[in-house]
Amino acid sequence: MALIVDELVFRFPGAPAPVLNGCTFAIGGGERVAILAPNGAGKTTLARWMAGLLPDGGFLNAERGGVRIGGLPATSFTASQRAVAVQFVGQVPAQQMSGAAFTVYEELAFGPCNLALPRAEVRERVDRALAMCNLEHLAGRDPFSLSGGEQQRVSIASALAMRPSILVLDEPTSNLDPESRDALIAHLRALPDDMTLIVLEVALRPSLAFAERFLLLDGGAIVADGTADDVMRHPRCVALLGTTAIRAAAAQIRDAGKWPAALRLPLLVDDGRVAFREAADALG
Amino acid sequence: MLSVDAVTFAYPNAGVVLDDITFEASASNVLAIVGRNGAGKSTLLRLLNGLLTPQSGAIGVNGCSTVTTPVHLLARHIGTVFQAPEQQIFNPTVRAEIAFGPIQLGLTGRDLAERVDAVLERTNLSDHAASHPLDLDQATLRFVALGSVLAMRPPILLLDEPQRGLDARAIVRLASILREESSRGTCIVLVCHDMEFVAAMADRVIALADGRLVADRSTLDFFASADAAHAAGVEIPDSLALAVELELEPALTPAALARVWLRAHAR
Repeated sequence: MALIVDELVFRFPGAPAPVLNGCTFAIGGGERVAILAPNGAGKTTLARWMAGLLPDGGFLNAERGGVRIGGLPATSFTASQRAVAVQFVGQVPAQQMSGAAFTVYEELAFGPCNLALPRAEVRERVDRALAMCNLEHLAGRDPFSLSGGEQQRVSIASALAMRPSILVLDEPTSNLDPESRDALIAHLRALPDDMTLIVLEVALRPSLAFAERFLLLDGGAIVADGTADDVMRHPRCVALLGTTAIRAAAAQIRDAGKWPAALRLPLLVDDGRVAFREAADALG
Repeated sequence: MLSVDAVTFAYPNAGVVLDDITFEASASNVLAIVGRNGAGKSTLLRLLNGLLTPQSGAIGVNGCSTVTTPVHLLARHIGTVFQAPEQQIFNPTVRAEIAFGPIQLGLTGRDLAERVDAVLERTNLSDHAASHPLDLDQATLRFVALGSVLAMRPPILLLDEPQRGLDARAIVRLASILREESSRGTCIVLVCHDMEFVAAMADRVIALADGRLVADRSTLDFFASADAAHAAGVEIPDSLALAVELELEPALTPAALARVWLRAHAR
């Protein structure tokens, strides 16, 4: 399902400037997109618009523009239609627990049960989501007794159990240990081809493993759109979000005059291995 | 300054979370506690600041036992910045939030104003002094939480995932505040999943796995011995991973990697 953010201008009441200021982009069905954003760029507000939590129908409305999901204005969806179209996982997992569940299993079943799905399907969806988020051993635990990283996995699993057309995740791996992160990334890569995945990140590295397209949000608008390399080379991206450790090391070698002009600066260990050897060979 | 002696802890109706943990930290130390999700890192922080008390063993904070000293008195010795800043913020303005701790210490008038102003300046919050904390974005809110703790000038500072959600510029600001604190003698304990941040900040790593302490080593020793990092379920920083693959001297940070590479290829 496609998601279009069209000329969106949004200001919180009483704020001197809009948070989102002409934000425009279109994401096609099945795309895997990372939106990179420095602090204060409007990341969480944009996420709330994409998730359908804004506008709230009364107090908080767009000054201009809006969001369209699957060709329809996001405002035309009922809550249950929207829950199937878009699922959103924010940064503070404890805030989005239902509060109605005594176990992790019940928490994951809460959404599908509210869709009035047959019992067997609820069970199948919950089992699959538990496996995807490395949670099987915690299925019987009270969600509120879990650690921060475990709660983050529970909230992502709850969203996956809804099998939405569009999944929006705000810094999904920031609190995960490497094993859980790699397990989640492997499952994100294996999501159905038609499921649209949008991840919002403040760090460069986490989304490199699965996103195919990168957008840079700066001052409430999209200022760069392309491959990882295009966007991470963009001067605003370097100025606001820095660079990866490997590219930073290569840049210091370049600044010392020892990096061949024609050799691309690598981003990660894998391309770094090749590039650093080439740079060494060039020195003779 | 901080001593943890044979500490064991279990939550009611749950298995042992921490089993026979012993380590010490001195003034100016920057210690990172690492391990998998659920390894007991945040529980250990809550034991250090006295919010939890151990079933057995003892914890000394600047000479005070966490079992016999009330939490509000311990707070003069140990300050905590929790994972979710909104859980520790309750005043109507940023200025009031930062002033709250020093007021409890008895500061008034100009002393209070000077201390609050200095913290607002250090945390880059001067322009937000009159804002309601919950109107701020998550990253700014984290600096409010940090500032409210710094204003107490605790000799020991605990931080749970302080870099999480911060962009590159904010991480530079956080790192410089922490380095400044350490050079003033503050003992800093970080719980952290971001190994690049650990490599850049910590001089020692305490690794937990299945409730046990599996390593207490200098940061370079910890990451350079792959088995310790593997036992704790953490990955080594990219700079070190590439240095190892290129058979260079160990390097924890991008600057160190560039340095050892240039040295190896100097002609």
